[in-house]
This record gives sequence, structure tokens and C-alpha cells, in this order.
Amino acid sequence: MDPSSFNSAELQNLINQEKQRAMVNEMVGKLTSVCWDKCITSTPGNKFSSSEATCLNNCAHRYLDMSIMIMKRLQSMPSQGQRFMG
Amino acid sequence: MDSFSSAASNGSSSSQFSTEDFMDKLKAQLAEAYAEEFLETVRGKCFEKCITKPGTSLSGSEASCISRCMDRYIEATGIISRALFSSSASR
Repeated sequence: MDPSSFNSAELQNLINQEKQRAMVNEMVGKLTSVCWDKCITSTPGNKFSSSEATCLNNCAHRYLDMSIMIMKRLQSMPSQGQRFMG
Repeated sequence: MDSFSSAASNGSSSSQFSTEDFMDKLKAQLAEAYAEEFLETVRGKCFEKCITKPGTSLSGSEASCISRCMDRYIEATGIISRALFSSSASR
């Protein structure tokens, strides 16, 4: 395979899409792992209890809230904000 | 998934070794890597939950715990995924 035969803009575009998909996959995987540990404290049953399901759902939403909060807090720090966001 | 496949098939006519082929291979390898990572996670979580005191063989109750655990972990992945990506989900 000769890489130069590829339309590089097109390839770049496809690679970016895959990169994005990989990030999404990684985030779902990581958050599932963390929330599983927090919410599923007993031996897994045939069905999630409603409190387990609610906990998983809340866990994901609170993680998003926290991410936003951390982002905002970081941006409000004059020196560090620039360094990390740059 | 759909937007990806249509993007790949639209623009591959220009090259002999199509970008489509290349990306298909890449996608297959990525899918394999994701599956492997997922399996490794499930093994870790379910071993922790179900094999609390390893005996001389896998007991029936351990085996059924493992299958329940797998099912629940897959379900949990769905719940997390929906919570993150559907804005209509109840908060």
C-alpha cells in the first residue's frame, strides 16, 4: 500500500472521526467502571434494582457536572487557566 | 457509524488502494482492541464480585454470578452511555 495514493484530506477527516469515536468509547468505558464500583455494591442480580439504575444514571450526570465545574474553575484561575487551555 | 460509512464510500474512487479498504482494516483492528479492553474490564469486575474465595473449581453459584455480572455490566454500559449522550435523559 502506497500511502501517497490516499487523498490525505479525506483520510485525515476519517481518522479524526475515528479519534473522536475512540474518545467517546474510552469515556463510556472509564465512567462505567467508576460508577459500577460506586453503585453496584452487592452481588449482581438478574436485574438492576431501581436504586442501582438510578445511581448509575446520577453517577454519569454528576461526572459531567463536575467536569464542567472543574473546567470553569480552571478558567477562572488567571495564570493556570492560560497554561492548560492554551 | 452511518455517517462514517457514507463518507468512506463517497470519496474512494480516486485511488487504486482505496481509503475505504484501509479504513475498514483500521476499523476492524480498533473494534478488536475495544472488545479486548472491554473483556479485560469485565473479567476484572466480575472476578472481584463473584469469586470472593477461590475454591478448587468454579462452583455453580460462581458461574451463575459471572453470567449475571456480565449481563449487568453490559447493561450498565448502556445506562452510562445513554446518560452521557441523550440530552432528554432524566437527571
